[in-house]
Amino acid sequence: MTEPYLRIEKLTKVYERGQVLALDALSLDVEKREFLVVIGLSGSGKSTLLRCINRLIEPTSGRIMLGSVDLTRLSPERMRKMRRRMGMIFQHFNLIRRAPVITNVLTGRLGYMPGWKAMLGMFSKEDQDRALESLERVGLREKAYVRADELSGGQQQRVGIARALMQEPEILLADEPVSALDPATSHSIMQYLEWMNREREVTVLASLHFLSLARRYGTRIVALKDGQRVFDGPPAEIDNAKFKEIYGEDAEEVEVR
Amino acid sequence: MQGYPEGYLSERPRWTTPAGLVNLIGGPLGLVGRRLSMILLDMAAVALLWVLVTYAFLWYVHGDIGYTVIPWWLFGLFVFELAAAWNSFGVAPSQRLSGVHLVPSEGGRMTVWHRLLHFLAWHVSVLPIVGLLGRRPWHERLSGTRTKRVESGAIKPAPWYRTSVGIYAAVILVVVVVAALGVTVSMANLRRLVTDAWRAGNIWRAFFSPDTTILQTVVRDLLVTFFMAVLATAFAVVVAVPLSFLSARNLMKGPVGRSVYTALRGAMSITRSIEPIVWAIVFLVWVTARRAPFAGVLALVVHSIADLVKLYAEQLEGINPGLPEAITATGGGRLAVLRYGVLPQIINPYISFTLYRWDINIRMATVVGVVGGGGIGQRLYAYLQGHMYSQAGTAMLLIVVLVWAIDYLSSRIRAKLA
Ligand SMILES: Nc1ncnc2c1ncn2[C@@H]1O[C@H](COP(=O)(O)OP(=O)(O)OP(=O)(O)O)[C@@H](O)[C@H]1O
Ligand SMILES: [Mg+2]
Repeated sequence: MTEPYLRIEKLTKVYERGQVLALDALSLDVEKREFLVVIGLSGSGKSTLLRCINRLIEPTSGRIMLGSVDLTRLSPERMRKMRRRMGMIFQHFNLIRRAPVITNVLTGRLGYMPGWKAMLGMFSKEDQDRALESLERVGLREKAYVRADELSGGQQQRVGIARALMQEPEILLADEPVSALDPATSHSIMQYLEWMNREREVTVLASLHFLSLARRYGTRIVALKDGQRVFDGPPAEIDNAKFKEIYGEDAEEVEVR
Repeated sequence: MQGYPEGYLSERPRWTTPAGLVNLIGGPLGLVGRRLSMILLDMAAVALLWVLVTYAFLWYVHGDIGYTVIPWWLFGLFVFELAAAWNSFGVAPSQRLSGVHLVPSEGGRMTVWHRLLHFLAWHVSVLPIVGLLGRRPWHERLSGTRTKRVESGAIKPAPWYRTSVGIYAAVILVVVVVAALGVTVSMANLRRLVTDAWRAGNIWRAFFSPDTTILQTVVRDLLVTFFMAVLATAFAVVVAVPLSFLSARNLMKGPVGRSVYTALRGAMSITRSIEPIVWAIVFLVWVTARRAPFAGVLALVVHSIADLVKLYAEQLEGINPGLPEAITATGGGRLAVLRYGVLPQIINPYISFTLYRWDINIRMATVVGVVGGGGIGQRLYAYLQGHMYSQAGTAMLLIVVLVWAIDYLSSRIRAKLA
């Protein structure tokens, strides 16, 4: 029997403030090169799950095995090294707003530099070339020296993707990557993620709010409710009954085209 | 929620609630102690009000701060009665603190009758103390009332001025303002403000006939003041920037961090509350008066540090955590997060605050000079002392020009940075 690529075992997170049980002994196996979409109502624990994986949030209990390494037990320094292999993109992009696009993309290399070089912003020539390449890849080469906050939302998210590309990640964590974007732009961003998944063999874990997007791009869908898994399977298996179970009786499905 | 450890929801430490805190204080004495400490709290509030009122009254009658002249037992009785009345007819501080109010034990609405009985029963229950024993104290049993927890979210809160705390605060405010008027303004002073206006008129006239022969001296002193402000601000920034990181709540986590944070913030607010002019006097004594501008600079440095640390730290506390998170997620270490996650968010506000403080320091340097801290302030003071009003006028005119120019410059730059 082979080990799964990423194995989450009885992961529990209790937020001290407010005493919220955000993840309730959640177990999940993720295979390499999967495009896993996490869906669920607001507050169901999607963000908490994704952030526990790269330990932006410390889990309360449970294990996260990447291969044979238990991420929850790594020292801060080893975890930092591990994070280099995990890209992350965010709903609100989290870019340095006043800095040029190229600087934002270069921050993707910070994990590979000694602290003092990072502090002085001494990026190597290769890194700078690579940054331009990444920007080329997301179609923003000509915006390289424009301030990040002068870009549209969709362009900013592409900068976020370019930053993640710089890490040469094996895993991409995307927390509601398109929630702040219009439908057409959403598709273009999702297609970049799909490209990373197919061409770069990156395992993607993305949380999404629209089921239609989840169906279109996911190879597998996991639904959360109150920190527990209520559905796990291929997109085609989510029928009307399942949908009502995940989103509640009164929910109507909305399409994003 | 299922599979949830029971304790997480129910076992919130008791002392984290106000009621629990009262319990903790009265705890060792048990129920009686707890009830007694509540009553003592109300009596303390009443006593404070009484003392303030008598002080204000004595100011008016004797023109002088006095001591309560009534016998202590009368004072005690008054305090006791008022606390009883407050508990019976209003919502006393202790009741508010523990989140309870008085309701009839058999349901229905509170009547004046209930309240009167509660007030009278208070005397036979609280005075001998034994009445506080038991599940329901005597005064509640005798008056057919009980205290009930108020579900804070469920009832519409009364506007603050209708609550007894609001009234209490209002009474204290009125008393304090009246007393303050009494000690600072006298009728004779008010009369002089009008009748002696001509005397000031001479001074004003002299002010507006500038003496150009002293221009060189004044400008030199003005430059000294300017450099004092620059130097003080520069020194203060060097110290305040690192301190601000240690004074930001969101960066200082854990028990050690929290105590450093508390100690620093406390020290800074004490330092800030002492005016630069007082610091100047302290440093003048310390470094001797011969090197006067140095003492002035030190005074400004100390005060600026305290001020800047607060402003900087508040800026740090307000940063968007998303960016440092994103840098952490790339695998960046502490320095990288600092440089790319925190710095871009604070650099402009820091510069802005520094300019703002520099602007204040120009004005402060003048004031500090008056007590002997050097620069234009000292010169101005000397002119005024020597009744050289037209020279003083010249100095003041130039001060106004400098302050205005710096103010304009710094606000323009700050607008650019925003
Ligand atoms: N920092 C926090 N402190 C306290 N409680 C939190 C914190 N972050 C999240 N929670 C709570 O944990 C639960 C799960 O939150 P989470 O953000 O993971 O949900 P989500 O599925 O991502 O929701 P959304 O779709 O709104 O982003 C919620 O009940 C939320 O209120
Ligand atoms: Mg979320």
